[in-house]
Amino acid sequence: MSAAVELRAVTKRFGDFVAVDNVSLEIKAGEFLTLLGPSGCGKTTLLRLIAGFELPTQGTVWVGGEDVTDRPPYRRPVNQVFQSYALFPHLTVAENVGFGLRMQGVPATEAAGRVRQALDLVALTDMDARRPHQLSGGQRQRVALARAVVCQPRVLLLDEPLSALDARLRQSMQLELKRLQRQLGITFVFVTHDQEEALTMSDRIAIVNRGRIEQLGSAHEIYHRPATAFAAEFIGAANLLSARLVRRDAGSVRIQVAGGLELTLPSASWPGAMEEALISIRPEKVHVGRAPIPGANGFTARIEEEIFKGATDHLRLATAAGTRLQAVVANESALGEIFHVGEEICCGLHADDVIVLAAR
Amino acid sequence: MHLRTCVIVPLLALVTALPARAAEELNLFGWSEYVPQTVLDGFTKATGIKVNFETYSSNEELLSKLVAGAGNYDVIQPSDYAAEVMIRQKLLAPIEPAKLPHLKNLDADMLRRPHDPEGRFTVPYMSGTVGIVVNTEKVKTPVKAYRDVFAPRFKDRLVVLNDSRELVTWALYTQGAPINTINAAALAKARPVIADWVKLVKVFDSDSPKTALLNGDVDVGIVWSGEAAILWNTDKKFAYTIPAEGAHQFIDVLAIPASAKHKDAAHKLIDYILQPEVSKLISDAFPYTNPNREARKLLSAEALANPASYPPPGAKLETFRDIGRAAADIDRLVTDLKSAR
Amino acid sequence: MDALPATGAGAASPTAADARRAGWRAWLLLTPVVGWLVLFVVVPTAVLFVYSLCERDELGRVVFTFSLESYGRVFDTVYVRIFARSIGYAAFTTVACLIIGFPVAYVIGRATEAWRQRLLLLVMVPFWTSFLIRTYAWITILKQEGLLNGLLQLVSLSAQPFDLLYTPFAVSIGLIYAYLPFMILPIYGSVEKIDGSVIEAAHDLGAGPWRVFSAVILPLSMPGIAAGTLLVFVPAIAMFAITDLLGGARVPLIGNVIQNQFLQARDWPFGAALGMVFMALFVVTYWLLLRFGREEEVA
Repeated sequence: MSAAVELRAVTKRFGDFVAVDNVSLEIKAGEFLTLLGPSGCGKTTLLRLIAGFELPTQGTVWVGGEDVTDRPPYRRPVNQVFQSYALFPHLTVAENVGFGLRMQGVPATEAAGRVRQALDLVALTDMDARRPHQLSGGQRQRVALARAVVCQPRVLLLDEPLSALDARLRQSMQLELKRLQRQLGITFVFVTHDQEEALTMSDRIAIVNRGRIEQLGSAHEIYHRPATAFAAEFIGAANLLSARLVRRDAGSVRIQVAGGLELTLPSASWPGAMEEALISIRPEKVHVGRAPIPGANGFTARIEEEIFKGATDHLRLATAAGTRLQAVVANESALGEIFHVGEEICCGLHADDVIVLAAR
Repeated sequence: MHLRTCVIVPLLALVTALPARAAEELNLFGWSEYVPQTVLDGFTKATGIKVNFETYSSNEELLSKLVAGAGNYDVIQPSDYAAEVMIRQKLLAPIEPAKLPHLKNLDADMLRRPHDPEGRFTVPYMSGTVGIVVNTEKVKTPVKAYRDVFAPRFKDRLVVLNDSRELVTWALYTQGAPINTINAAALAKARPVIADWVKLVKVFDSDSPKTALLNGDVDVGIVWSGEAAILWNTDKKFAYTIPAEGAHQFIDVLAIPASAKHKDAAHKLIDYILQPEVSKLISDAFPYTNPNREARKLLSAEALANPASYPPPGAKLETFRDIGRAAADIDRLVTDLKSAR
Repeated sequence: MDALPATGAGAASPTAADARRAGWRAWLLLTPVVGWLVLFVVVPTAVLFVYSLCERDELGRVVFTFSLESYGRVFDTVYVRIFARSIGYAAFTTVACLIIGFPVAYVIGRATEAWRQRLLLLVMVPFWTSFLIRTYAWITILKQEGLLNGLLQLVSLSAQPFDLLYTPFAVSIGLIYAYLPFMILPIYGSVEKIDGSVIEAAHDLGAGPWRVFSAVILPLSMPGIAAGTLLVFVPAIAMFAITDLLGGARVPLIGNVIQNQFLQARDWPFGAALGMVFMALFVVTYWLLLRFGREEEVA
């Protein structure tokens, strides 16, 4: 099966500004791919290149195995859901949804049936005669969705479609989008700056930074094995620390983390000639307790700050040598351990949980 | 000079609204483009009387404003037939000849005309005619009569006054009918003539009929003699002729409304204007026919030779009489014929 | 498209009491405006209405005797024909301004901020000069010995000068020139408000350039088109200076006729009656456009 969308060495410049820098990307048919990155990183430009609203400065864009680089948006088998929804204010809900079918010349009776189906799909069956300004934000969002999917595109592009919704609505829409995608089997390319959205819905996530894709992989891969410091920080929280090689033993390496903490790692995780590197440790991987933690790397640290967040307890730790670490502890029972600021506690780090990143 | 008066006059108009005023003043209501500002300035200088000058552009406008704003005007400048109806409506105050030592300067021919048979209410200001002006560079054959003007060969080469009564008058002249008897029968007779004429005309313009002639857009016109005189002054190729069938002569007069509040000052202004040197200034600016014999003596030979200002004697000239409500019938007739195009 | 009366907007009943309470303060603020309207619109209209029902004396002044004669004369074929012609001229002007003005307004409305300011300035520059002076300028350009003919003769040497002034061509130019900004500015206002992503959405859904224009841009510009039509059509009916100056005053329009009743024909009641009928026409036009405009007035 060929890729639903393929970008081949695409570069897009606006004047001197390089919005997309030599990006190659293959999106599989039927997958939910998220382009995740901060604002201005080029993720929206990538989407617009696929939709056809922008022409690449270099490179080609392929959809369904065809080169569509020179085709205008209205001749590409993709549809988009806009951040602002971009509903036609002068048309009713049904007319909005039926717009694409009308443009394609679908017979009126067939179109009416498909519009009804699409509205059923997004649970807006009774709203067909309303105008956009008579709808709530969530309802508009669903009209935009119905309008895009009714055309049965090969690929559905979604440009931060949930950003204007309140938190609760956003969560339910995330699940609904995922359900819709499974139900329709359409390839979704979803742009967001919200990591939680990305983690909830995506089959794969592309981390976009400064016009480049820093890492492409499943949520698990990116979370557990971030390829770059940026990826590590952008998804989830991370203790990012610089470290240097102390000595090499048989099958292991000894490294010293900034501040003085020394750790032993399997030598496979430390690339050969490297003297210094950046390491990433997820806060929940820092195990703490009043008794020493069984495992490779044990040390003690003082609690400098403690923030109780209900399900979790967030601790700021400092080792005797001066290395600072964030730790997150799950509050497993009401009678669980209660930590106090100033207390000395035992900490443990499994060697597998220390990710060595390429030097920045 | 001009700029200053432009600012001062409106200011004065404001000030006059205040009750306590020491200096004497006078409110003049006259035609636009007919009274040189230098004359008014000279009067103020000579007498110390400030002149508030307001203008109108048709006799009917004067009539309506005079009725509505009685007491606001001290000197007005109606044409003959408008003065006639004002006299009949008792809107004018009698002139006191004792206060006008320069009255003797006027040409007796211009006095005691039908609109004011005893000369008790009006003093002639300027007079003129409505006649034919021809661009002799373009038109070599003589054009002497209305019938010559409204000929097919001049189709779309004509400018005439945009004035319904004038059109009807010319038509009546070609039929030998009296021009001041406007009734259904006369209009019915004139109708087919005017219907043919309006199809030939390129421009109807009362405000500045000379423009179309000067610009070369038309070759022949029937216009105010003052306009023709200016054309002749500009270029001698514009020849003026009094139509053979007869022509409308107008005498614009100075008069004092019965309701005027400054009648003494009004007499002073009228007498000032009657002075030959002052009257000459008016002729210089607006070359109509000056009724002031003494002023005419001061005019240059060229000004006196202007055939539009001083047409050769012997032409058949008549003034308009007031036609009252028939003005509406004329307007409807001409509107009808023009809109039939 | 079926029109949907604004059902949602109308149902604001819970706050009706608040609105009433705020009412007297609003009226207090509006006093100058209301006073101005009463003094300069309501009173003159009432006077005109009373005059139109009276008779006249030999000076044309109003005599307070009730008569419907003036209204009877308004519907004389002469004046009906002139009304029709005036409406025809106004309609022509409106359509021509729309055809020329829409692309201009669209380009300005979709231009970048800096260019928008510059182009808008160009549209408004003519307002710095009086309308009459601008019309006289056209005489200078179009006359037989004028600029345009001079230019044409330079290009094609021996040709006869063209008859431009005092022709329907000159009148058309004058009309379009005078009223074009009044069409451009409101349409610009509408076009500028169109969300660019709505146009992209239409493209995305398969609409080519023409369909985007006819199915999205045009309907969304309707409030501006309606306002522009009103701003051009209504004053253009009353207009006569352009047909007089550039057309040679050969065909009387309703504005000429009304003016003549007061300044030549001495028939104030008839002039007033024409004015009243004229005003009624405005009200009808306005009402029609308002109804038409409300259908498009969404979001």
